Amino acid sequence: MKPLRIALTKGRLEKTTVELLEKIGYNCDEVKNKGRKLILTVGNNDFEVVLAKAADVITYVEHGVCDLGVVGKDTILEHGSSFYELLDLGFGKCRFALAVKKDFDFYSGYNTKTIATKYPKVTRAFFDEKNMDVRIIKIEGSVELAPLVGLSDGIVDIVETGSTLKANGLEVIEWVADISARLIANTASLKLRKREIEELQKKLEDVTK
Amino acid sequence: MNQYLKVTPEGMKDFLFAECSAMDDVCGRIEQVFRGRDFKRVITPGIEFYDVFSLPCSGIAQEDMFKMTDNRGRLMVARPDSTLPIARMVSSRLKNSTLPVRLYYKQAVYRNNPTLTGRRNEFLQMGIELVGVKGIRADLEVLTTAVQAMQAVSHDFRIELGHAEVFDALSDGLPIDADYKEKIRLSIEGKNYSALNSLLDRLPPCQAVQAIRSLPSLFGGAEVFDKAAQICRGTAAAEALGYLQRLYGSLSALGLGDDLIIDLGLVQRNDYYTGFVFSGYINGIGDAVISGGRYDELLAEFGAPMGAAGFAIDTDAVTLKSLSDGSVSYSDNPDVLVFAADGHEMEAIAETARLNAQGRRARFSVLPTLEETRRFAAERGIAEVITVE
Repeated sequence: MKPLRIALTKGRLEKTTVELLEKIGYNCDEVKNKGRKLILTVGNNDFEVVLAKAADVITYVEHGVCDLGVVGKDTILEHGSSFYELLDLGFGKCRFALAVKKDFDFYSGYNTKTIATKYPKVTRAFFDEKNMDVRIIKIEGSVELAPLVGLSDGIVDIVETGSTLKANGLEVIEWVADISARLIANTASLKLRKREIEELQKKLEDVTK
Repeated sequence: MNQYLKVTPEGMKDFLFAECSAMDDVCGRIEQVFRGRDFKRVITPGIEFYDVFSLPCSGIAQEDMFKMTDNRGRLMVARPDSTLPIARMVSSRLKNSTLPVRLYYKQAVYRNNPTLTGRRNEFLQMGIELVGVKGIRADLEVLTTAVQAMQAVSHDFRIELGHAEVFDALSDGLPIDADYKEKIRLSIEGKNYSALNSLLDRLPPCQAVQAIRSLPSLFGGAEVFDKAAQICRGTAAAEALGYLQRLYGSLSALGLGDDLIIDLGLVQRNDYYTGFVFSGYINGIGDAVISGGRYDELLAEFGAPMGAAGFAIDTDAVTLKSLSDGSVSYSDNPDVLVFAADGHEMEAIAETARLNAQGRRARFSVLPTLEETRRFAAERGIAEVITVE
């Protein structure tokens, strides 16, 4: 049978996932010395690893061309729809936050507020829950700039340490959601290859506890 | 202004030659099973009133439907599902017939999926509905028909079986509103353990909460029943569980072994399911290709309360799979081209028919000269050209 195929989010999540896989006994040399190869073998041909951008990890898993994926909860909240979210891997921790210019009273007044964000779906869901109408502007780069130059009243963005916010005179006024890396599985794969997936899930669960 | 003359809309596609042949093959095999078990075909309209699908239990979001209006301004949709129209049809046109009604359908459904996800917005479904009867015999009839249909199109599939009552019975007693229940259901459906745990941690601990917590992990073979029985003992879910075990026990006679699994976390979006529910997967297809179950409350929404069960197969997905496997033998070419010398066209057409009747694939050449016919045959790799003169 074909080895299980796992899509990893390139960069930091990939590195930590590889460390985890090594910890539970899989040889990941090929992933660490990948060169230009895009599909890599792990262990004794136990798995194939594919490296992809975060949102693409979800796409590959949803379409079933990868059985499993490791991706941040931020990406799941923004892009996710139908797959199994099997495990909170506990690393890559950060939070979505609503931040505004220091001492700005965001909730006062009746005018519709404007939010700049890279995560329009997360932002929409957050304010829908509050039954609050907001104008959302999608920004691709440094979102912190938007309230400073007067484009928006606030931002919804990922906050790790908060130092970028502080350096630009912004402050968090509300936490939107907790984020960490998650193990996701294609729905059909989990049903068709239950034993293998559960075995890996169990090992990862034990080592991340 | 842009004219969209030469492309199809996103999510739609043309089916050509080998694709149609593969589709006919898949549909033919399934149809043979349905007819063999004496289900009768029906066709419902491609466009229906929006109201048919907007019932709260339909599980079809309004943004997922293609909408239009009729000439009186009433909202219409391109059929996004076949079960609801069939419920409408049975409750009106068939309400005085002798029950149960056994019917099958083969028709496209339309879903307006999010853009650029590569999903199909039009796909052919085949399915059955067994309406007007409840009980284990009806459930076994539906399930074994489903298995037989899967066997007709694949050697490598898996069926998973669950029961809508398990989750409903456990969650009914909890102090939660419909929104909260839906969040719990979604996290079970997505096997999202962390979300489920944080939702349940906010509730007063009790046996039902503990049982719900373990639902997504309760899938597998017969051993699931032992675990589940312990967890659900004394709760309202015990009865559904016992029934599911009976179904599972009966179906084991089919010899599916590991390919029949139990999933108590199978809580589908279609809220109309009330009894057993099931899905089927084929190796190599990333989504369920068959899904169905019992929906005893749905017909009441149309004013004709009666039990019913059925399923739908995504025959397009099965077709695409068989095409990519190369398991479809198909050739564009006839064995023989029959060319008529001027004035002998009707003889040649008769000769073509005669050859076809003998079982050779013959085609009457519609090109004006023998040279052109020969050149065409050479280009296409058609072995033989015969001339009638």
